[in-house]
Amino acid sequence: MSTSKGFASSHNRAALLFLSPAFLLIAAFVAYPVVYAGWLSLFRWDGASAPVFQGAGNFVRLAGDPIFWRALGRNLLVALSAMVFQVFLALCIAYCLVRIVPAFSRIFLFFYLVPVMVSEICIGLLWRFMYNPYFGLVNAAFGALGLDGLKRGWLGESGTAFSAVVVVMSFTYLGLYVLLFVAAVRSVPESVYEAAEIDGAGHFTKFFSITIPMVGDAVRANSLLAIIGSLKTFSLVFVLTNGGPNHASEVVSTYLYKMGFGSFEMGYAATIGFTQMLLTAIGAWLVFRYLKRAGVGGRT
Amino acid sequence: MGLKRLLIAGAAVVLTAFPAAAGELSFWHAYAGQQDKVDFINFALDEFAKAHPDIKLDVVAAEQSAYKTKLNTAMASGNPPDVFYTLPGGFLNAFVNGGQMYALDADLAKDGWGDSFLESALAQTSKDGHAYAVPVDVDSVVFWYDKALFAENGWTVPSSYDELLALAETIKGEGIVPFALGNKDAWPATFWFQYLEMRLKGSGVVSSFVNKDAKAALGDEATKALEHVAALSSKGYFPIGFNGMGDQEANMLFLNGQAAMMLNGTWQIGASADAPEGFELGYFAFPTVKDGAGDQSDVLAGVAATFGISQKAENKADAVTLLKFLTSREVMTKYVELRKTMVTVKDATTEAAAGPVLFDISSKLMAAAGHLDPFYDTAMPPAATNIYYTSLQGVLDGSVPPADAAKRLEDALRADK
Repeated sequence: MSTSKGFASSHNRAALLFLSPAFLLIAAFVAYPVVYAGWLSLFRWDGASAPVFQGAGNFVRLAGDPIFWRALGRNLLVALSAMVFQVFLALCIAYCLVRIVPAFSRIFLFFYLVPVMVSEICIGLLWRFMYNPYFGLVNAAFGALGLDGLKRGWLGESGTAFSAVVVVMSFTYLGLYVLLFVAAVRSVPESVYEAAEIDGAGHFTKFFSITIPMVGDAVRANSLLAIIGSLKTFSLVFVLTNGGPNHASEVVSTYLYKMGFGSFEMGYAATIGFTQMLLTAIGAWLVFRYLKRAGVGGRT
Repeated sequence: MGLKRLLIAGAAVVLTAFPAAAGELSFWHAYAGQQDKVDFINFALDEFAKAHPDIKLDVVAAEQSAYKTKLNTAMASGNPPDVFYTLPGGFLNAFVNGGQMYALDADLAKDGWGDSFLESALAQTSKDGHAYAVPVDVDSVVFWYDKALFAENGWTVPSSYDELLALAETIKGEGIVPFALGNKDAWPATFWFQYLEMRLKGSGVVSSFVNKDAKAALGDEATKALEHVAALSSKGYFPIGFNGMGDQEANMLFLNGQAAMMLNGTWQIGASADAPEGFELGYFAFPTVKDGAGDQSDVLAGVAATFGISQKAENKADAVTLLKFLTSREVMTKYVELRKTMVTVKDATTEAAAGPVLFDISSKLMAAAGHLDPFYDTAMPPAATNIYYTSLQGVLDGSVPPADAAKRLEDALRADK
């Protein structure tokens, strides 16, 4: 720890000089809005009249708002499903692409990446059409399989709306994690696998005993990415169901949007946003800690 | 013409990139996205440039839903445009309460400008006796049906609610959806509730809450109306998954003959323009409800859009000139012709411009109505609208009991300070 001495050194001064533009930009476009949102969360404000100070009133209201807590619960479910159907599945696929069918890995990777390159709004609109109960592909497929009993209004029924959205999310973001994991799995030294093969290890053993521990850093980074993304997910829900029907597929971000730009309760919307940010930060930190202790990752 | 339009669009893009220069009047509107809207605003602004070459406009356009967010953000940040398009009711009232709107009373009193509007329409843009915006168009809600499909099956237009239900049962038996409904955005189903409330209790229910009438109440009729709505859904008279379908998807069912009727606004005329061969659009009034206390001739009709001036606008004289021009009979008749929508300027909804169906609604149905009741969802404060929307979706899918929804709505209407 030579901070005090090093701070004065000309190297550090040059580094600070070079970092300052980025620092100023972050201060202006990240720190200022965050602080402002925190400040705004103490007021009742419709966006047009003068704000009315509420103290902790908005936070008390939030604590007793069942719609918010249910929405937050859905965000956690999205995170859980992202861990299973995006991160873990992507790792399995990456292993298959690199170790089992390397000849086809490029073409498969291309297909997995298509949804990542298309805007989420387009994907949402496309899926809206697929889910349409009358003209859509999903119900038509069930009909063709003779499973007419399974046909339903996927996005319009409270029982299925949220699951339907989660399916779309998994398809959309899977490719990104496959891409990241392919790079990680490729970097595992061939010699380790050769040694395992001599010992008679199959793909199952190699996957769990070699690949996962060896790409621990990637697993940790991708898990964090998936969890943070899940906690602030917005666009697909907004396009597919707009959180409806009757909040059945509401997540925190769509609820925030509804409060801010539907009900014009800017102060309460800021409270939701500020709380969401805090919870996401805490969640990310917990996951980071847990994964580190569980021995996944860390420097090898 | 095509090139010209392109140039105008290009100019608009360039202009939006720079803040308004001194002496320019900033004008924001939501006539974007749909061809008829774009055609109208291009016509109006071209004519304005010819008539008033000295007034330079800095025009910003956005599509309706994005526009609301954009305008609201501008208002919140204290940089409102000088002249702008806004929705009436709760949306406008929020700006009025914040002291952001310029009162137009003195200008309306001059040169008979105020008298050129329908009184009922101007009332919808006024608060506490002051007009804060000028109304543009009026939409009214009726039942739409395909005359050809009805004739083919020998169905007749119902005149009472019981007849309507009997007809729905018959249509359902034919394997056709009785009523098209795409309720993802929650406003389409509000027409059902509002009409039933109007028939059962009477017009002006939500308006009396907005005007802080001490006797304002939804009454037991609201629960009854919601029970009717829930029954329509549970009997399967709406499409499968209607709460997740958009209005456009519902329209596809209606225009393809997969659904027989649709309770929707007069914009349905424009939406039915691309109907397949043989489709013939007809309309009938919301039928009478037996023992209903309301005037059974009442029509759900409200101002859809308005123009207002910011209190902060520097050059209010030019701003008023622009509004007067936009609401002149000439421009408004063109509006009717291009958009097939009724306007609030007297005598501008001519038969030649409106076409037979719209002119019939305007001259017969609306002229004979005891009252015109404005749209509940735009009249009430935005926070109440949100609750109205979600509760109604809940009633329709059976997750919220009608009595609870009625109570929730009444509480929300009373909560507004």
